[in-house]
Amino acid sequence: MQPPDRADRELTGEFWAGVDRGELLRPVCGRCGRSFFCPQVVCPHCAGAQWSYEPSAGLGVVYSFTVVHRPPEPAFEAPYVLAIVDVAEGWSLLTWIVDCPADEVRIGMQVQVRFVPGPDRALLPAFAPRPESAGAGEAAA
Amino acid sequence: MSAAGRRCPLAGIAVAGVAATRQARRLEVGSVEICLEAARAALDDAGMSLDEVDGISAPWPGPGGAVFHPGSADWTAVFGKGFDWVGDTYPQGAPGLLDAAGAILAGQARTVLVFGGRASGAASAGSPSGGGAKSVVAYTRPDNEFVSCWGSLTAAQFALVAQVYFHRFAPDPERVALVAATIRNAGSANPAAVMHGRGPYRPADVLASPPVAEPFRLLDLCLATEGAAAMVVTSLERARDCPSAPAVILGGGSEWYRQQYVDPPRYDDAARIGAAAFRRSFAMAGLVPGDVDVFELYDICTFEVVRQFETLGFCAEGEGADYLAEAGIGADGRHPTNTDGGLMAYSHVGWGGPTLKIVEAVRQIRGTAGPGQVPGTEVALVTGAGSGAQYHNAALLGADR
Repeated sequence: MQPPDRADRELTGEFWAGVDRGELLRPVCGRCGRSFFCPQVVCPHCAGAQWSYEPSAGLGVVYSFTVVHRPPEPAFEAPYVLAIVDVAEGWSLLTWIVDCPADEVRIGMQVQVRFVPGPDRALLPAFAPRPESAGAGEAAA
Repeated sequence: MSAAGRRCPLAGIAVAGVAATRQARRLEVGSVEICLEAARAALDDAGMSLDEVDGISAPWPGPGGAVFHPGSADWTAVFGKGFDWVGDTYPQGAPGLLDAAGAILAGQARTVLVFGGRASGAASAGSPSGGGAKSVVAYTRPDNEFVSCWGSLTAAQFALVAQVYFHRFAPDPERVALVAATIRNAGSANPAAVMHGRGPYRPADVLASPPVAEPFRLLDLCLATEGAAAMVVTSLERARDCPSAPAVILGGGSEWYRQQYVDPPRYDDAARIGAAAFRRSFAMAGLVPGDVDVFELYDICTFEVVRQFETLGFCAEGEGADYLAEAGIGADGRHPTNTDGGLMAYSHVGWGGPTLKIVEAVRQIRGTAGPGQVPGTEVALVTGAGSGAQYHNAALLGADR
């Protein structure tokens, strides 16, 4: 659950502000140029302290997923699909897979970001299957 | 000097006393009270008084902290005495044991009391437990902002690892379920277990239980119950004068890959977590995994038991369920595992859960473990956490030979 002040957070406020306007952002290191997630004080690849948020195309692949039938709190409506998505710019995040029946989600599935309201109505960056034409054969490196 | 004593400095340190309080779905007392109960019982078991304790490892208000989060206390005030050494090792179990041993070996303390656990006091409020619409216990709900917003829970974090394993290796579901059924049947036989008298369980019962976070069903997963556990760690020399036979620390090690429940755990990073800690532990002890008589493994879920046997090197990656079905993990099997019913059927009490593993290991070595006793146990392996938590730890305990 998200407190209402998420856009004010020191390290992650910019990420959430992006989500609020429908834009997916990721930290990119100013020293090694690599993306990472979750946002943290220094780059986990090179310990560089200078990094900034840059837009992500929001295209990814399902690395793993689990269908949650027993939510940790009643505010979440089960079942829902929790997933690790590897995003094309070389970072990954915990997210939901939406717009897809739970029994059709597969490891390796091509997905794209889709902003959906969470239990407190604030938007979250979930992922949905890519339309066949856009996703077929495309590698997320 | 014993043969073990020549192997590594840890072998000069022993567990002289252990205790587990009553374990239940809900207790009528709070966390501090149940922890105190465990601490006093462990001292009694060691035949010691508090006067002799000069080191203490317990839930404090956090490093440098001044806020008493639930379950923490100023233990100097609680016991009315200062200590020469304090620790707040998280989790307890193997790391708590090894930190205490390190303090003693470094001359910072002579006898360390380690304890932890949790209780809500909810039993006295008359509230029904386990209702479907309620929240799960707080320590199973990671509060990181990129985890909690998605409605993840610790079981789901482990499921994200297990799902890749199941996808790649397609283990026989019946054989995976047999792991849970066997551990749960050990719990059925243990009068102290929360799930005492339940069952008997067959793999089909596990596979028919309601799904929680795929591939896990309810009976694949550990409990979240209440109670506490404690141990008294001291020199082997001192422990030899205690009423019960000492359990000597033969080796141990920890492995921290990532802070738990922040970045999501990936199978490719987490699959072999524990291998290095096992390697160091067995090297210290001069033993190999085949020398272990009882395995008190951290059984958050069935998959973790399978994964740990693979990581120990008993079989190849992906073959664990087949291997264990053939070898057997019951009291009469080749690898008796979680002889008290484990976290799945005995109890799991948060911070103190890993110490329950040591309580059972010590009792096995003493020969006083109850219905799950494996005759002639000389070497016990205890472990903590696992792939979904992105850290792992191990300790080998043995008879004083």
